[in-house]
Order: sequence, then structure tokens, then C-alpha cells
Amino acid sequence: MKRRLFVASLSASGLVGCGPVKDQLTSSLYGVLDSVQGLNHAIIGTRGSARLYSEADISSDYRIDGLDTPSDTRYADAAREGFRGYRLPVVGLVDRPQVFTLAELRAMPQLAQITRHDCVEGWSVIGKWSGVPLATIVAMAQPRPSARYVIFRCFDKDESGTEYYESLDLHQAAHPQTLLALDLNDKPVDPDHGAPVRLRIPTQLGYKSAKWVRQIELAATFPTPQSKGGYWEDQGYEWYGGI
Amino acid sequence: MTETPVAGERVYRHSIAARITHWLWALAILVLVMSGLQIFNAAPYLDASDKSDPAHRILSFDAHQAPNGAQVGTVTLFGHTFTTTHVFGYTDDGQGGEAERAFPGAVTLPATQDLAAGRVWHFFFGWVLTLALVAYLIAGAMRKDLRELILRPSDLPKMWPMQLYYLRLRKDPPPHGTYNPLQKAAYTTVLFVFIPLLILTGLALSPGVDAMTGPLIWLLGGRQFARTWHFTLMALLIGYFCTHMALVFSTGAWNNIKSMITGWYRLKENDGVGV
Repeated sequence: MKRRLFVASLSASGLVGCGPVKDQLTSSLYGVLDSVQGLNHAIIGTRGSARLYSEADISSDYRIDGLDTPSDTRYADAAREGFRGYRLPVVGLVDRPQVFTLAELRAMPQLAQITRHDCVEGWSVIGKWSGVPLATIVAMAQPRPSARYVIFRCFDKDESGTEYYESLDLHQAAHPQTLLALDLNDKPVDPDHGAPVRLRIPTQLGYKSAKWVRQIELAATFPTPQSKGGYWEDQGYEWYGGI
Repeated sequence: MTETPVAGERVYRHSIAARITHWLWALAILVLVMSGLQIFNAAPYLDASDKSDPAHRILSFDAHQAPNGAQVGTVTLFGHTFTTTHVFGYTDDGQGGEAERAFPGAVTLPATQDLAAGRVWHFFFGWVLTLALVAYLIAGAMRKDLRELILRPSDLPKMWPMQLYYLRLRKDPPPHGTYNPLQKAAYTTVLFVFIPLLILTGLALSPGVDAMTGPLIWLLGGRQFARTWHFTLMALLIGYFCTHMALVFSTGAWNNIKSMITGWYRLKENDGVGV
């Protein structure tokens, strides 16, 4: 799932496309085909729990998924000073907006779980993630009844300046295994794996586990009318990543 | 209960439900194989394990550059590497050129490398396949014509004589109903084993399904193993398809194809009707 692959395929489709009519047909065709996504979400949803593994099952090399270390200058600056100035705001449709430092997040009760990370490409890797259950953070901010989604704004932009972001609904966010991870295999998460704070949702494919989270927002809708709920979703991947 | 068939007589062999679901399967399987190869291309290897693990790799597609600068594509199966340049590993990129790619653009959907689009096709036609199978089984059970094609113990002793007949080592086939014992074995295996297992192993690749179903993935040996089974079953289904085509075309192509469109089939010598 390398970014250059998408850039290549996007520019290629621009080259072979036969103008707006074909684009329109293609997008309505995909609209029809994609209609089963709601069915998949309704039937599979977020039920049960991902299997927990033992230390012996941990993969020797935790393969980097998605994009590698952000080129974003804000990120480079924050990383250089060891994320000392990092703050995680929880904003939007909440009664009590919050701001957390890394030390505050680490001072909260931590949950460690060894789970399998299933990439949309087909490969799997097993690792130990620990951090704060997302449900704890969301509950502290007291979402208003109108809030439906938890939106993760992340460091990193792609070549076109598009910001990387991701979203879950409140049910997925409340799952006890959905973590704001601070450590991977007993060490602070490194930049390639999403430092300093990464979402980790083992009941869905890896692309839902947003890296480099810089802000959490509770919202009634996705950020823009065109948004499909995340960076990868806007590239054509399903918003419901349980399949 | 074999009735006495008369060669040349036209019989109504395939119900409307059977005909519609047959062609839906044909379309769904074509799209599922092509979009499945597109998805496979994103991680072109299969492991007999739960997590990805090169130590348990049984199949992989790779590309490398030879000392003379030429690109080489290879397929490694159970440790044996075969050079497959221009066909697998380094092949047709779906845009008129060549690239590092397991399966060529000619057999993937879409032709260019596009995992997201491949998944959209795959999930839609996964539903088409599943619902067509359910509809066929319900209709077939209600009309009782499923009985004609399900393999039963009394067919087992007739399978070898039938094989000898196909091999032209026996003059006449053993007496049988609408379908001969080998057809029954093939159709029963595809409908009740291959397709249900393909659906099940495909579902097991989804983390949401794994969380919901618990032991399913363990029965299959883990997620990468489920991928291996899914791919192997696809290969078996393609094997079935090739046999199916060979027999459709060698036993009166037009009569066979017409019967799957209109329902009416002209009986040949040695053909039977009934269970």
C-alpha cells in the first residue's frame, strides 16, 4: 500500500480515461458495486473480539504498513524534540474538550494486547500494542448526542497536499480493544509505525489504524461532503474496514 | 429410478431458476477470479501459517534484475523456482508496458494494479455468487430437481465404469438418470464443497469476521493459511471449469448450451432422465 502506487494509478487513469462521460460511467458503476459495503457493515460489524496471542507469537519484524515516516515539517520538528511538545486535543461535539500531553496519556491505566494486524494487501503481522483504550479518552470529553464519528487528524500530507485522516463510528471507538497506542513491543512507537500516538483497532484492517494522530474530533459527519471518511477511503477503500 | 429414454426426444432439463443461477455463477466466478488475482497481486505469496512468515512460504511470485540488466520474473512453488518472465512475476502491467506484477493485466480486474477497485468488484460478486447459490438450493429443493444431481452411495460403484467409458475403454456407459455418476460427483463437489468453502475461506480473511466467529480461522490454520486455501480452491474451481468446457464441447456443444438457455435438451444415445 505504497503512496507512489496510488499516485501512479491515478495519473494512469487520467491518461487512459476517455473524458468525463467515461469517468461518470465508471463512478456510477463503482457506486452500484460499492452498495454492498453497507450490507457487509450491517452483517459483520464490530462483534466479538480479536484473538489475543502470546509473546511467542510476536513477529520478529513488524512490517511497516501504509505510509512511512511523514515528510510534514510539523512532524519532523516534533519528532526532533522527542515529541516533548506533543499535545493531543479532543475537540468537536463534546461537552468537555480535552488536551493531553504524552505524560498524561502514559499516566492513565494502560492496556497491552498482542494482536494480529491484517493488512488490506493480504499479509499479517503479530505485535504487542499498549496504550489507552480510546473509549476512556472519548468518555472524558463527554460526546454530545449529535456526535456520530470520531475523526483522527494526523500529521502527514501526500504530494498533492491532502492531509492524512481516518474515522470510526462511536460503536467501533467504544470497542474495548480499540486503543490509542503508545508502545509497540514494549518500546515507544517509532515514527514509521505511527509515533507518538497511533490508533490500533484489531477488529478491522490495518488502514483503519491511523498513524501519527495529532487531533481527535467528535463530529456528526465526515469532514467534507466529498469525504468518504479517511485518506484511504478517499482512494477507493471501504470505510468499513472489518472486511 | 431410470425411465426408458428415447434418443432424439426433447426433454425439459433445466428449470428457469437453474438456468438463471447457472449464468449468474458463470459471470460471478469470472469476475471473482479476475478481481481475486488483482487482490492477490498486492501480496503475491502464500504462507501455510497464521501470520506472514517466509519460513512457511509455499508460493511466491518475484521479480529481479539479471546481471545483464534484463528484468526476470519468477514463480517459486514449494521451494522450486521457475523463470516466468513476461507471464508471471514480471509481466503485462495492463497499460501496454511491463512491470513487477504477479499476474498479468490481461487476467486481472481492473487490468491496471488497483487493489481498492479489485476489492469493490470482489465483494459485490461475492454476494452475487452467494445469493445465487442460496436461490438455486432453495429452488432446487422445492422442485426436487436437486435430487437428480446429488451424488448418492448407489452411484459410487458406477463411477469407475463411467470413467472407463469416457476413456473409450468400455462400450456403453453404466445406466444412469439425467446426470451420469461422474457428473453428479463433479456438480455435488462444486456446489456443496468448493463454492461454500471458497465463501468461508474468503470470509475468514476479514478481521471483523474473525472477531465474530472465533474458531473459524483456527480450523483453517490461521489467516495466511485461509488465504492459501482460498487460492487453492480457486485453482481447483478453474480445473473444474476446464473439464466442464471440455465435456460441454465434446458431447454436443450446441445442444448443451441451448439447454442451459431454453431449458430443452435433446436426448442422445445412452442419455438418461430422472434420478
